[in-house]
Amino acid sequence: MNPNWAEENLRTIRTLMERSALYRRALAPIMLLAGILGVAATATGLVFHLDSSAAFEVLWLGTAAAAVAGAFLIARRQALKDKEAFWSPPTRRVTQAALPPLLAGLCISLCFVLVGDMEAASVLVVFWVLCYGCALHAAGFFMPRGIKWLGWIFITGACILAFVISAWQPDFENFEDSAYWLMGFFFGLLHLAYGAYLFLTEKGKNAA
Amino acid sequence: MNPELFLQLDRVIHEKGRLAIMSALAASPELAFTDLRNLLEMTDGNLTTHIRTLQQEGYVSVAKSYRNNRPLTTCSLTPAGRKAFADYVNLLEQIVRQNKPK
Repeated sequence: MNPNWAEENLRTIRTLMERSALYRRALAPIMLLAGILGVAATATGLVFHLDSSAAFEVLWLGTAAAAVAGAFLIARRQALKDKEAFWSPPTRRVTQAALPPLLAGLCISLCFVLVGDMEAASVLVVFWVLCYGCALHAAGFFMPRGIKWLGWIFITGACILAFVISAWQPDFENFEDSAYWLMGFFFGLLHLAYGAYLFLTEKGKNAA
Repeated sequence: MNPELFLQLDRVIHEKGRLAIMSALAASPELAFTDLRNLLEMTDGNLTTHIRTLQQEGYVSVAKSYRNNRPLTTCSLTPAGRKAFADYVNLLEQIVRQNKPK
């Protein structure tokens, strides 16, 4: 008999326990909510011509806060419905994994609010997309579905955006609309597309 | 290796498929049959057979209910099952410690 069988058994047990403790709440309603809020914020910014960097940043920070609060409410409602604890170990792990990049994004945002010009805001879009992508990727280690891939899409998008901005150096005087469209694409449309995909594939789990 | 420790291992849990089921259930309050099947990549028949064995031993309880008008079968470890699993893991750890070169 292989003398290491006991160690192998313990390793198998640990792996299976970790895999079975994955976060299993339905993500489709959360993604759809984030997407709707993203599209609504884009429309608000474009329609009301919120062109100052402070208005841009406050609008999107407010949208992010609303999305986070909504996500927690949906998850809590699902937990109550399933008669399970809301602040379960998988929920804690997902939150802990996503928190550092999100906090970094928030700190950078506050610094940019202090600087306060639209050129800075355009760079902020890259940081937001990058930090959010990193948060999704980190949380994806404790979630069963393609969250890690969505994270990579955000990270790749941020890198491409950074190259495009540095190579073409767009006219920042008229960058407001582009910034809103970019935010709308990443935080609106991508969430909606992923939410729709999950809605069609997460059988019987979509009732929030 | 001390053969006495090996002989103390619970034969019901020691089988590969049943060990996988016990490990998965040990980390969750309960798991749906379908989640367990997908997680362990077992066939329905294989999983049913192993769960029946664990049920007969008193290690696993099975509950049948309905969700969204669909039948839902959930499995969970009984207190006896949790104790047996903890004892099994403790014995494995003892065996590993004993086999470590000094």
